[in-house]
Amino acid sequence: MTPGDEDARLRDALAEAHWQDATQTPPFQAMWSSARRARPRRSAWRWAALSSAVVAAAAVVWLLARPKPMPTTWPVVETRWVAPTDFLLVTPDLMTLRSLPGLDPTADPWTTTPPEPRGLP
Amino acid sequence: MSKGELEQQIAALHPASFAWALACTRWNATEAEEVLQSVYLSILEGRARFDGRSGFKTWLFAVVRNMAARARRRRWLEARAPWRMHLRSQSELGDPIAAKERGARIRRALGTLPDRQREVLDLVFFHEMTVEQAAEVMEVSTGTARTHYHRGKLRLLALLGEEDVA
Repeated sequence: MTPGDEDARLRDALAEAHWQDATQTPPFQAMWSSARRARPRRSAWRWAALSSAVVAAAAVVWLLARPKPMPTTWPVVETRWVAPTDFLLVTPDLMTLRSLPGLDPTADPWTTTPPEPRGLP
Repeated sequence: MSKGELEQQIAALHPASFAWALACTRWNATEAEEVLQSVYLSILEGRARFDGRSGFKTWLFAVVRNMAARARRRRWLEARAPWRMHLRSQSELGDPIAAKERGARIRRALGTLPDRQREVLDLVFFHEMTVEQAAEVMEVSTGTARTHYHRGKLRLLALLGEEDVA
């Protein structure tokens, strides 16, 4: 048997295997329109999935971007207020002006000798 | 390609597509119809798109083959579900009347071949594709398809020889 004969034999065999196919083939239009009718059901599922994803994404964005709530207690901050005119109070010998003179409590004010009068210049 | 042209081409190939779906489902007409229905649905939904990289028939047959493989996997899983075990033995009996026909005997012989060998023989000898086109449909290299083609040819010829002797 030549390769050509073998091929012809296999061709015949396959044709015989398929001989009933034509009788079983469903009409194209029926299948096509049936698939067309089935399509919206699937697209409805797709739309539902898509809209759920959009809602979920929006929720995540809102959670991340929402304004932070106000703190219940104000934080303690150490500050010293400085007036704009404070620099005017800075004078020479400031320490003397702001400190009190020290008095000796043991000293008897009545026994002390009065200071000698100074002569007039 | 417009929707109208697409529909026309699919309609022209419908009998061949159904024959190919039958070969992919081992001549289970109900399953072949379901497979082809799913193929049409996936084309209408845009999940399967023809990009022009191969011939239209080659592309359509590849989609049918993939869909049939998916259906086969699903059926395999379903058949192994505990609540379905009792149904399997009934479906495996087959139709004794059809088994007497020569076509049925050839189908049975084809059924003993590995899937790839059966597919390449069907594409080449029934659908008149080249081995290169068959390789595209089967999504394998041309060399692999050629190997399956030669092995399948030898095996089917041997099986047909046995049938003739019997």
